[in-house]
Amino acid sequence: MNVFLHELKSYRKSTIIWSISMAALIIFFLSMYPSFSSSVSLVKKILEGYPEPIRKAFGISIDDITKFLGFYSYVFSFVVLGGAIQSMNYGISTISKEIKLKTADFLMTKPISRNEILTSKLLASLTSIVITDIIYLVTAYITAESVTKELFNIKLFFMVSVTLFFVEVIFMSIGVLISAVVGKIKSMISLSLGVVFTFYIIGMFQATLNDKAMKYITPFKYFDTEYIIKNSSYDITFVIISILIVLISIFLSYVFFLKRDIHVV
Amino acid sequence: MKIIEVNNLTKYYGKSRGIIDVSFDVEEGEVFGFIGPNGAGKSTTIRILLSLIYPTSGSAKIFGKDCIKYGPDIKKDIGYLPSEVFYYDNMKVIDLLKYSASFYKKDCSKRIKELSELMDLDLNKKIDDLSYGNRKKVGIVQGLLHEPKLLILDEPTSGLDPLMQQRFFNLLKEENKKGVTILFSSHILSEVQKLCDRVAIIKEGKIVSLEKISTLRENSYKKVYVEANAPLKSEYFNMDGVSDLQVKDRTVSFLFKGDINNITKKIAEISITDVTIEEPSLEEIFMHYYMRG
Amino acid sequence: MNIYLRELKANGKSLFIWCIIMIAFVAASMGKYAASSYISGQSLNDIISKMPDAVKSMFGAGTFDLSKAIGFYGAMFIYIVLMAAIHASMIGANIISKEEDDKTAEFLMSKPVSRINVITSKLLASFTNIAIFNIVTLLSSLFLVNYYSKGENVTDDILKLVIGMFILQMIFMSIGIGLSALFKNSKLASPVTVGVMLVTYVLSLAIDIDSNLSGLKYLTPFKYFDAKNLMNGKGFEIIYIVISALIVILCIGGTFVFYQKRDLKI
Repeated sequence: MNVFLHELKSYRKSTIIWSISMAALIIFFLSMYPSFSSSVSLVKKILEGYPEPIRKAFGISIDDITKFLGFYSYVFSFVVLGGAIQSMNYGISTISKEIKLKTADFLMTKPISRNEILTSKLLASLTSIVITDIIYLVTAYITAESVTKELFNIKLFFMVSVTLFFVEVIFMSIGVLISAVVGKIKSMISLSLGVVFTFYIIGMFQATLNDKAMKYITPFKYFDTEYIIKNSSYDITFVIISILIVLISIFLSYVFFLKRDIHVV
Repeated sequence: MKIIEVNNLTKYYGKSRGIIDVSFDVEEGEVFGFIGPNGAGKSTTIRILLSLIYPTSGSAKIFGKDCIKYGPDIKKDIGYLPSEVFYYDNMKVIDLLKYSASFYKKDCSKRIKELSELMDLDLNKKIDDLSYGNRKKVGIVQGLLHEPKLLILDEPTSGLDPLMQQRFFNLLKEENKKGVTILFSSHILSEVQKLCDRVAIIKEGKIVSLEKISTLRENSYKKVYVEANAPLKSEYFNMDGVSDLQVKDRTVSFLFKGDINNITKKIAEISITDVTIEEPSLEEIFMHYYMRG
Repeated sequence: MNIYLRELKANGKSLFIWCIIMIAFVAASMGKYAASSYISGQSLNDIISKMPDAVKSMFGAGTFDLSKAIGFYGAMFIYIVLMAAIHASMIGANIISKEEDDKTAEFLMSKPVSRINVITSKLLASFTNIAIFNIVTLLSSLFLVNYYSKGENVTDDILKLVIGMFILQMIFMSIGIGLSALFKNSKLASPVTVGVMLVTYVLSLAIDIDSNLSGLKYLTPFKYFDAKNLMNGKGFEIIYIVISALIVILCIGGTFVFYQKRDLKI
């Protein structure tokens, strides 16, 4: 419990900053919706003049993007990017922070097992992420309600928004695994950004090319908002993949961390 | 009762040597010195005892329990002071000590107060702003605040001024009187000499000697220094029991172990101007262990 | 000179990885181009060109003629730029602050070198890193795009794009280095630089969505050398070059001033 509280405290500042940034981001983007939706009725007219196959080639049905939820999911992808960076940072710092700051000696000579240490730290990261997500969700909902004149499906809105948390958990567990395997990381932020942006760019690439196979590579595409809006459910294949990734990463992190030698600095 | 039992401990870092086949026991209430030069394997041994690293082969027990298997359990009664102390920078001293205390299921606040007064430690400073020596003091208080039964000290005195060193040693002696066992690793012999009952000398990963401090000094070696009338052949004193032989023109010095009569006879056969036979200092014994093959 | 070489060596491995990533990325995109059906995408381009900017940006591809190798490359270039921006920000933010972070500042600054000398060497090393990064990207792009294009001249466009990317990297590198000289706490340099980079990137996307925001385009370097504008005849705009030069000069000048005066945290 003490390790959990200590970790939570050490994440406090970062949790506040991330919560504020993500809330600000969504307010900023959603407030553009009114002007966006007016320009978009024009698109609709243009598109209606074209035959169905061409419209399909866009990958997104035009009805979807012009509605609020379509716009929201576009904007939401940046929120997810932010959340992924935050959770990757937490994940990577789980073990590497102690080694880099050379505090591992202090912590690990205390009467506490490595299992307990890792569990407390994971729970602390998770708590910080959940706090950020709740703040984001409330802000997003209030903003959405105030900028839209039309009605939107609240259930779908939440189904889309919660995927933020799912993606974050995936990235956090990948991060923990990296830190358990690598141990001492010179520049944690570079590594974390490198990993997140690699996946993000693969995701953008995938969207542009509409390549099905690439979807499996990047967690950013596991919870496809378009699919969710269309089917009011998550794609079960990717749900299973996500769960597997998280479970395997966390399991391996415990294995590696338990066996790791903590060297003299 | 044996507090620490180390059996044939071996640790390799990849291919490079950590320690090879290290064995020793530490009895309850003992102050056990662990000496050797930098890189000899002192810290490696200690880190295995604390289950920070895992041995390649062999085992170690503390309080009769395997130190890897029961790591968290035995650490309840261990206090550890590393040679270099690093703590969470953005914490105050008192916060760190409280955090440290929170791992042990007892109230340590009185002890924190006593110890920090003794060590002259300002509790309200940020750890970030502390000097090296003051950080060391935090380490000392942190290692002792839960009244451990075993203290493991890895080169603990570096960075402390002589006054603080004295206070620290007195503190250790007091703890020892209360029955606390101490494992004291150092490369400074005078420290070990002041405190320890027995020492293990480690060199290149192997224990080369394990003796009582008193035995080590009393009956092991004599330092012999001879000044002759005429230049000496270098082989003259080359006999059983002589080591570290140095011949320079008319003067000879060496360490001797064995029947002292043999050497006095040998000296009597030549004409000399001066002779000294003395107890070697610990340093010299120490050097002797290092230099010998 | 020794500091310069030391820095080049220290960054060598990471630069090597970055270069491999860039080559792989360009190769993967162009390979994808060859395999894609965009070659017959003329009708789609028609539709896209009639759309408001907001919608265009949501499709990602924008106004590029995806049926041509160079058009496809242009559409992918935003990703290359994004990676380049990350690379430059990290180099800039780390190169000075890592000395304090890794507690090597004491070692370095107790040597008979002036701080000016240290910064100059480190700046040159960062510059060299960025230059190599750009040359590798340029050469691999020239080679691969040429390979897939059907005889059109692609060299001019690629050259323009990469020059734009180079200036963008200079901007983020100098922001990073300037911030790390300014902050007393060396640990803040990287996160704040990355924050600045992310905010400006998001802003550039927002400008695409909402044309009312177009006045803000001067605030985000990602808009200075927009692939669309560079390729579609507009070329480099003098105002952006001036702003870029100002940012770089101010940041680097600031670095010398702040770092000279600062207490090192050891």
